[in-house]
Amino acid sequence: MIASSHSADKKVYEIARLKNEVKEIRSTFLEGRTKLMRLKMESNVISIMKQKGIKPSVIPPKKIKVTSKN
Amino acid sequence: MAVNEKSILNRLYFISGCMFVFGLAVMLKLFSIQFVDGEKYKALAEKRVVKDVVIPANRGNVYSANGNLLATSIPKYDIRIDALTSSSKNFSECLKPLSDSLAKFTGKTSNYYQRELQKARKNKNRYYLLARNIGYSDYVRIRNFPLLNLGAFKGGLIVEQVEKRERPMGGIAQRTIGYEREDENGNVTRPGIDGAFGVKYLRGVDGKRKMQRIGKGQWKPLSDANEIEPKDGYDIYTTIDVNIQDIAHHALLKQLETYNAEHGCVVVMEVKTGEIRAISNLGRTSKGTYYEKLNYAVGESHEPGSTFKLMALAAALEDKVIDTSDVVDTEKGVLTFYGKKVRDSKWGGYGKISVSEAFEVSSNTGIVKAIHNAYKDKPEKFVDRLYAMNLDDTLQIPIIGEAKPIIPDPRIKNGKWSGIALQWMSYGYGVRLTPLQSLTFYNAIANNGEMVRPRFLKEVKEFGKTIEVFDKEIINNQVCSKETIKKLQQLLKNVVEKKHGTGHRLYSENFSMAGKTGTAQTEYWMEDWTENKRYISSFTGYFPADEPKYSCIVVIHKPDTNVGYYGADVSGPVFKRIAQKIFTDTPLVDEVQMLEVKKASVEKEYEDYYSLAQTYKTIMPNVIGLPAMDAMALLENMDVKLRVKLNGSGTITKQSVEKSVKLKNNQTVVLNAS
Repeated sequence: MIASSHSADKKVYEIARLKNEVKEIRSTFLEGRTKLMRLKMESNVISIMKQKGIKPSVIPPKKIKVTSKN
Repeated sequence: MAVNEKSILNRLYFISGCMFVFGLAVMLKLFSIQFVDGEKYKALAEKRVVKDVVIPANRGNVYSANGNLLATSIPKYDIRIDALTSSSKNFSECLKPLSDSLAKFTGKTSNYYQRELQKARKNKNRYYLLARNIGYSDYVRIRNFPLLNLGAFKGGLIVEQVEKRERPMGGIAQRTIGYEREDENGNVTRPGIDGAFGVKYLRGVDGKRKMQRIGKGQWKPLSDANEIEPKDGYDIYTTIDVNIQDIAHHALLKQLETYNAEHGCVVVMEVKTGEIRAISNLGRTSKGTYYEKLNYAVGESHEPGSTFKLMALAAALEDKVIDTSDVVDTEKGVLTFYGKKVRDSKWGGYGKISVSEAFEVSSNTGIVKAIHNAYKDKPEKFVDRLYAMNLDDTLQIPIIGEAKPIIPDPRIKNGKWSGIALQWMSYGYGVRLTPLQSLTFYNAIANNGEMVRPRFLKEVKEFGKTIEVFDKEIINNQVCSKETIKKLQQLLKNVVEKKHGTGHRLYSENFSMAGKTGTAQTEYWMEDWTENKRYISSFTGYFPADEPKYSCIVVIHKPDTNVGYYGADVSGPVFKRIAQKIFTDTPLVDEVQMLEVKKASVEKEYEDYYSLAQTYKTIMPNVIGLPAMDAMALLENMDVKLRVKLNGSGTITKQSVEKSVKLKNNQTVVLNAS
């Protein structure tokens, strides 16, 4: 009875620890994702590439699709 | 004094009597605690170690159409310090390095922190705030600062964690993504998508369970019949496209800054489905910067001005009382009704022009006159036609705060109708629409008459599993006849494509657009209007002109008239930028049939190379005359491992090892090329 109660307590501590870990990992992930999202936004890319003298094209890319007969 | 037995006995009786009474009192009290108040004390004892705990449900995330996070809940930290708990040795030793670290973190000076921390210790401050609302990685950084790394008891570190709603896009589309917030009085504000769908999808259901206190400040669950499992909220996928949103936001921001305008909004909608791809609302602060202040596109109805000429002409064409080729006299640019004047922006008017030209040059007098002639005896017919096109209906979108359209009606006595109401209505005054309502009508024209409801939601999911899918909703199958639509589409196209069109400045030879400019006076009823003119500049339309994919409205309020105020100048560029972005993002696909023509010389070169590679495996071949590229490949793919050094890049002119010489592993061969 006492032993199983203690082992239950132990599990509670373990769960609390793991929960914290999940939270931490999740927030690091989100922070990274937020940063990435801001970096890859077109307006940001445009402003960075402007310093290098590169600007977005005014015409769309051309895709050439080869349809083979066989 | 002689002490006889009796007197001692008497005293003994007295003492023991007292003790007996005392004992009895104790017993009585025990009895009363155990049996009389027993229940009460048992409950009290339980309360100290067992409690009901609410297990909060995780709020769902808001995603964009392509799966980018728009809103989510993440923990944020407030860091405080108990300035008293650390030993004086630790405190004095760590004060300087801690202040240095903090100074580096916040940008304040180290001296400032040294002073503040010493003051906090002197004032016995056990709750001095170091940083508020910081992310996890910053929290980890602060936790490792000197003194704070000693922990809560030795160092005095106090960490408070709260779940905060975070929008990775930052200020972009903030008002539309929205939030749900409750103040101390229980009043809830719910702007945007997050607010509108908070209760239904995002919030989830909080759980409840009994917990018992165990060591280390932890609580252990007790099984109980009343236990309720928390149910996490659903994730919602919006129709917002992050890339278009980004461009729309920045294009609008740039234009607002250039024209120092009061506020503005832009909405991009997919023609066929009514899905909102981007929505941006920016308002000016007192400092002159812009942020997502209010959801103007949804909540602010205003007089649309010239963009309403499309609705007026749609009604007239549908009633067949006007045709685009009819000629109207603009009468030198001024018309007078009941003493009130309608003026053209071009001094002196346009002379006698066709209705379609009047629309293209946005002649107020031309359109007003045409509508006046057609409907002056039966204005209610005009109003009924507008009703039939759903122009007085709200869109019933889930976002809270949509304004109701206003259309004056001669049969309704609410002070909106007057002798000039019809004429004023025909060029967009006296009526009120929100930008989203105007856009919905333009979208219907682009969609060949099918009016679809603007939509913000695509799907509701739980752990990636679809719970609910939202399809397009049709408001009106056909707002007006196909014939009328054709004419209107041509008119909108001409505004940009014809040289005299008000939108011709936006013309691009690469891609096509169709739309209508609007330059409406606003607050003209105020006395100071003549010295401080205020306008609402707008551009509404769609692109590409022939097979519309997206419709878009740009409305900018009160641009600085010294810089400019015409719809084509102020709002047009935002429209064009978005159209351009979408155009350049869609690759042009060219299909070609595979060419199966063989060229003899190429075939022969290949055959020669192949036989050379097959013949020479360990013996040096003659590579003089071969292209350097081929020679390198040949030598590097032999059975022996060679180190090939190449000087130059054309055809090989000299090889360091003669032909037919046996090669060894790791031998170096030098090739010279032209």
